[in-house]
Amino acid sequence: MTQQAMKSGNILAAIAALTVLLFGGWSGAVIGWLLGAAAGLMACQGKKIPSPKTGIRLGSNAGLALGIWILIASLIQGLVLFPATGQSSLGVIQGLLFGGVGLVVATFAGWLMGALQGLGSKRQQATRAFLAVILITFPLIDQIARTNWTATVIQILIFALLALGLNIVVGYAGLLDLGYAAFFAIGAYTTGFLSSPQINLEWNFWLVIWIAAAVAALAGVILGAPTLRLRGDYLAIVTLGFGEIVPVVFRNLTQIQIYEPISRIFASLLGRPELAICLVGCDRPFNLTGGEAGINPIGRPTLPLIGTFQSGQYLPWYYLILLLVVFSVLMIGRLRDSRLGRAWSAIREDELAASAMGINLVQTKLLAFAMGATFSGFAGAFYGAYISAIFPSVFDFSVSVIVLCMVILGGLGNMTGVLLGCTIIMAADRLYLPQLAQVLKSILNTLVLPNVANPALRDFLATSIDPIQMRLFLFGLTLVVMMIVRPEGLVPNAERQAELRSPDEESLAEVRSQ
Amino acid sequence: MTLLELRDIHTYYGNIHALKGASLRVEQGEVVTLLGSNGAGKTTILRTIQGLLRPRQGSIRFEGRALESLSTEAIVRLGISQSPEGRLIFPRMTVQENLEMGAFSRRDSLGIKADTERVLMLFPRLRERISQKGGTLSGGEQQMLAIARALMARPRLLLLDEPSMGLAPMLVTQIFSIIRDINTQGTTILLVEQNARMALTVAHRGYVLQTGQIVLTGTSKDLQSNETVRKAYLGET
Repeated sequence: MTQQAMKSGNILAAIAALTVLLFGGWSGAVIGWLLGAAAGLMACQGKKIPSPKTGIRLGSNAGLALGIWILIASLIQGLVLFPATGQSSLGVIQGLLFGGVGLVVATFAGWLMGALQGLGSKRQQATRAFLAVILITFPLIDQIARTNWTATVIQILIFALLALGLNIVVGYAGLLDLGYAAFFAIGAYTTGFLSSPQINLEWNFWLVIWIAAAVAALAGVILGAPTLRLRGDYLAIVTLGFGEIVPVVFRNLTQIQIYEPISRIFASLLGRPELAICLVGCDRPFNLTGGEAGINPIGRPTLPLIGTFQSGQYLPWYYLILLLVVFSVLMIGRLRDSRLGRAWSAIREDELAASAMGINLVQTKLLAFAMGATFSGFAGAFYGAYISAIFPSVFDFSVSVIVLCMVILGGLGNMTGVLLGCTIIMAADRLYLPQLAQVLKSILNTLVLPNVANPALRDFLATSIDPIQMRLFLFGLTLVVMMIVRPEGLVPNAERQAELRSPDEESLAEVRSQ
Repeated sequence: MTLLELRDIHTYYGNIHALKGASLRVEQGEVVTLLGSNGAGKTTILRTIQGLLRPRQGSIRFEGRALESLSTEAIVRLGISQSPEGRLIFPRMTVQENLEMGAFSRRDSLGIKADTERVLMLFPRLRERISQKGGTLSGGEQQMLAIARALMARPRLLLLDEPSMGLAPMLVTQIFSIIRDINTQGTTILLVEQNARMALTVAHRGYVLQTGQIVLTGTSKDLQSNETVRKAYLGET
């Protein structure tokens, strides 16, 4: 157990150090605050903490260890990396200041989290409250520290909604869905239709988001119905097809003319097509989806006091999506523990046996699809309003795959794992990789390129060392390594872990003691 | 009183005619066994009774009610539950959760609690393993769990599909004595078995199924002394 705590502590330290090296400045303080709390929690995980004192010792030790790494990284960043990128050295004092604050904050966060773990019966509540404080204050801290991470965190939270929804279908009910982005698209386009000049409807966002979720749920049922008899691979292929069809439909619904069908038949029989009664798009074909150019602009939410949400002001958006995610986590938790949730896990385990227990397979599967789709409907509605424009190319196959990877990487069927998987993939992709690219480029420009004489080699170096271009490669590599090292995901569902791991002594002992 | 009656049942797997007009009857309180070799259609009969397969022709009546058009869900609620062939337990659920799934069709939590207690009395081994995952149990324990889970629906008719399959001889004897206990406590049982010798010791009556048709029926005693049965199913010459 302690060994595991040390291992996770090392991982956190590596993340914190990397963050400081890449971003510099006050990022050490922000990451120290976030990961210090995580380190404190992990140090106490699975242990009996008799009093806050024990927790404080464990937590602040973990926070301090993390903080030392932040301090070291700050010094390296300020004294070595900064000059290497062509800027003047920060000097020891400033490096010590940034790192020192990071160290103090990390230790404090670990200390506080440790203390809360010692609260006995209120331990869980206190941890949740602290977590809530961290999440609520994050954009403020982000602003003070000038790290500008809030926009990325909003993206992470949008994908968190998607991953949570997909986890219902794949993780709980065991139905492999490769076309999940379709529901995201349907949610977004529903929002686009109902609150944009496209068809001259400007409904209120607070109403539209519910309609979008309902329409997505309905689409889930419509997709689910033909797949009920399919299992495993076959189901995956059908959902894949659905995921491909939906964006294509949205791309092509640009010239709609609808005739009343009976009059149309008569008109063609008579050989006089002008007699057909036209219903929609009579004068000129009606453009529903805007094709490749998409729908733009989409209406934004408005609240009293705040007014209409603006694109540059992240705070209201952040709190809205945070609220949606928290609401979804609570709802899905209730669903999982309900009768329906038990029926889901039964059909995941064995359909025939589940059916013999008197579980209605049709209803249970359709509800899994519908519930899963509902949450991506929320995500789609938020996304449409947030970006204020939607294009069919945003919802292609890669989105379905990435969301599926988040679910599998984090741990199928475990919400904490899924959220963690989502955070890791999105943060790496949207935050760390671009920053890494920038830092590498500056280093290349100041240190390497001036010293390379051969112009061909110089060109080659300047264009080929770009981590952004390698992102799919890095992503694939991560997946391969993960599946070999930890096939059950980062935070596995206990059931799945038992199945995937060979029954070595440790897990056998665990099973016995349960 | 007749609890279950099948009349001239024809069931198909696609184009394969699996049951060719099978008829049988189970009286209240009986243990009736269905004998037959591999592929005779024994499992098909049980699945047809529970609505997992639909007969193309024929009638199934349970206490006078027609079952052919009811969903499996409704049939389970009427009081027919099954311990399926090959012990299809839920491997990643604990023993406790498996039992709860067995009671899925019921909503009376007090009754469920009482029945959990009752089946754990019948199968004390399961009590020892109550929080262990189903998949980690031994073969015999899994079979016990499958039967116990079927009992959790508080069935009036219990369908048992090959409870002795793949078990050591001593366990087989144990399982069959429990089957007898379940019957004495008032549950009617339709038992499908390849182990004809054991099946005929607990059953009151039996049917012999051959390529989708009932070819022989009688009391266990009659069947035990029947020439054909002795040769084909009891392995005597």
